Amino acid sequence: MLTAVVAEVITFYSVASPDAQIAVISTLATSQAVAVAVFYMQLKDEPGSIRLFALVGVMFLAALLIAMVASLG
Amino acid sequence: MGTVEWLKHWLFTTDHKQVGLLYFFTSLYFGIVGAVLALLMRVQLSVPNNNFLEAAYYNQAVTMHGLIMIFWFLSPLGIALFNYFVPLQIGAKDLAFPRLNALTYWLFLAGGLMAVFSFFVPGGSAAAGWTSYEPLAGPLYSPGPGPTLTYLGLMLMAASVTVGSVNFVATIFWLRKPGLKLMDMPMFTWFALFTILAMLFAFPSIIAAFLLVLTDRLIGTVLYAPPSVLGVPGIDPSLLWDDLFWFFGHPEVYIVLLPAFGVIANVTPAFTGRPLAGKSWILWSTAAIVLPISFGVWMHHMFLTGIPSILQEVFDASTEVISIPFGIIVIMFVLSMVKGRIQFKTPFLFVVGALVLFTIGGVMGVFLSSPVLDRVFNGSYFVVSHFHYVMVGATIFGLFAGIYYWLPKMTGKMYSEKLGKLHFAVSFIGFNVLYAPMMLLSDMPRRIFTYQNIGDWAQLNGIATIGAFIFAGAQMIVAYNLLHTWFRGAPAGPNPWGSPDLEWSSPAGSPQAPAPELEPVGGWIGQLSPAPPAAQAAAPPAAASYPAAGHALHLSSRPLTLSAGVMLFLTGAALYPGLFPLALMAVGVAIAAYSLVAWAWDDIRDRFKGPAEEADGNRWPFDAVPKMKVGMWAFLSSEIVLFGTLLGAYIFIREAALSWPSPSSIHDIPLATANTLVLVSSGFTMAMAVHAIRKGDQRGLLAWLAATFVLGSTFIGVKMSEWVGLISGPTPFIPGSANPVTALAASVYYVIVGLHGAHVIAGLIILVYLMARTARGGYTKESHMTIENFALYWAFVEIVWCFVFPLFYLL
Repeated sequence: MLTAVVAEVITFYSVASPDAQIAVISTLATSQAVAVAVFYMQLKDEPGSIRLFALVGVMFLAALLIAMVASLG
Repeated sequence: MGTVEWLKHWLFTTDHKQVGLLYFFTSLYFGIVGAVLALLMRVQLSVPNNNFLEAAYYNQAVTMHGLIMIFWFLSPLGIALFNYFVPLQIGAKDLAFPRLNALTYWLFLAGGLMAVFSFFVPGGSAAAGWTSYEPLAGPLYSPGPGPTLTYLGLMLMAASVTVGSVNFVATIFWLRKPGLKLMDMPMFTWFALFTILAMLFAFPSIIAAFLLVLTDRLIGTVLYAPPSVLGVPGIDPSLLWDDLFWFFGHPEVYIVLLPAFGVIANVTPAFTGRPLAGKSWILWSTAAIVLPISFGVWMHHMFLTGIPSILQEVFDASTEVISIPFGIIVIMFVLSMVKGRIQFKTPFLFVVGALVLFTIGGVMGVFLSSPVLDRVFNGSYFVVSHFHYVMVGATIFGLFAGIYYWLPKMTGKMYSEKLGKLHFAVSFIGFNVLYAPMMLLSDMPRRIFTYQNIGDWAQLNGIATIGAFIFAGAQMIVAYNLLHTWFRGAPAGPNPWGSPDLEWSSPAGSPQAPAPELEPVGGWIGQLSPAPPAAQAAAPPAAASYPAAGHALHLSSRPLTLSAGVMLFLTGAALYPGLFPLALMAVGVAIAAYSLVAWAWDDIRDRFKGPAEEADGNRWPFDAVPKMKVGMWAFLSSEIVLFGTLLGAYIFIREAALSWPSPSSIHDIPLATANTLVLVSSGFTMAMAVHAIRKGDQRGLLAWLAATFVLGSTFIGVKMSEWVGLISGPTPFIPGSANPVTALAASVYYVIVGLHGAHVIAGLIILVYLMARTARGGYTKESHMTIENFALYWAFVEIVWCFVFPLFYLL
């Protein structure tokens, strides 16, 4: 986790292209979030029904975000 | 029982039946308020060029009519039935978290009172329509404390719904009696579950939307400020509002409707003499509607906003698709009646009425799914007719079916069948006389307070107004019938409909009895009698101080006082500035803080106990998951949508803005990075705390909790110093900045980072409680679920920061 944070900041300072920055930093942020969910929140040991709770929220969110940004044209 | 004790009992109750009755009567009260507003509107529109209501008052009436009817009448009436009957239908003694259940009621009531009170503050209530479109509902076009009060009331209502949803999810999944499989649950409970799940995922969006509105109104952010005022090129705040509002708004239609469908599914077999046809078809169709289709149709409300045509086509298709499962459900209901030996009792008549009205409204809705036809109809009375047929007609007729069906259960008495049928007939006629003319008013704009004498507008509006009074008058019949039944009705017997459902196996007419197996402990509201001696003997000394009936253990004043404190604080915030509002806020904070501490203290001292749970209840698919964890995950899934929606709003604004300040020009990146590392480390210490108590190491637990507290406090301390620097620096980074880009960037930064900070602070407060309880040996290797649950919460807070940090500080 700590390494990922440091990697994000290094990317911020060292990568010039905004698109590349977004790609790398987003990937790192998502990886951290997944790591926290899987290990600290122990989703790896939970039954599928619990995982589904988290996934449904993320799924709706994804639909909302995609359509919101798309609505800008 | 004396009056004071009687009153105390009802104010402090956490019993699901009594909370259900409180919901029932309170929602009827709000229904009357909403109906009076509707009648005022109809009188105003009854003739052309009328001046019965001024434009400003008409706008307030139409706005508050919509808000009150949807949030404080229709939906809560369904929740009242959920409260009363879902635990009975699954054989549970109460909801999973009885005090939280009482809290949901008091928050609901507090929010509603704030909304109604808003009529009496200077400037009046909200007047921008129930949809509260921005920037119309913003401080520029809707100034004054009234709208703020209404929207804060809505936030309380939304908080109530979230807490209630978590409670029902845990109850339905965890408290089913032994042997009751999920698929064997009564249909009403199934529809309750669908409704609750839709609430869980829909309400965070409206919370996020109104949070942004309220920060604009209360602390001067400019998130929805109109482009002409803000001057940020490219930003269209109205589109952001539309997305957030309708992502909630369309599922809300089903949230309101599904309890009525649950009643229909539950009631129909009792009056047709045959099982419900296609039960699994109905369940799968409803599942498809709720998760996911209802969340994929919201943009059909936005066809006129200029969204790209491809999106219009996608949402046209998805809206038409949703009519398929609804069609299946209606066909199955009708099939259930075919070949049945139908008894045309009052509940069944209302079932038929609901289906007829829903079908009419549903067919009208198919027209509105077309972007082309929507352009013609959207701003007209055709739409008003459509959504009243679906949301009001189908819902209220369905719920009336449930009220008549279960009245013998709630009172032990049988209602007057003659009056029930009369109520149905007059209601059905009145409803159609009211809304059918509006179908024909497809050329009349719906957002006007008066009109010229054009075409047949005057005649049709006149007829509609007559219908409104007939429909309202019909409700006098049910009011009389209810009261007559409760006080003078003939005994109904234990199961007058011969239903096989579990709720009929418990004693009728005893809302005080917390469990089906217990003896009835009295009659209705006025006849609370002492508990059976055995129940009294079981009560511990502290709880026995409440002079209550059969469930002394079930009383708690904390939900009421906490809600009252929050209401006072928010009312003060809405009315601020001034000494009186400040005093209200101070008193509110004091009461709320006292209530929270007392709530925690009750827990530490074990002064409140819910009813015992079945050790071998059917808990699939959560057999191996503790009850509190099911509740926590339900809550977190809602939080995911809340924060995700807010971050989505930020991304929307960034995408829309043609320029944005560089993060490094605003923030101290090394400091923010160090602070992020502190928060990330606190996630590790919290995980170690869980690890320690799993091994039974209480000292280790205390040490790791303390470490988490120190790290969390450090994070907040650094954050506060960072904010002081941002606000008081040479170029202040504040929402009131003269530079519109800076003002917008600061607004969105403070709201989202601030909300995350509030979650961290809430976590720190809980940590203090956990440490205090740990120091008293409150957690063991075998019993430490609260620690596990808090670890989930803390990890979630860390996950949010995983996105907040790069989005605001790096990108």
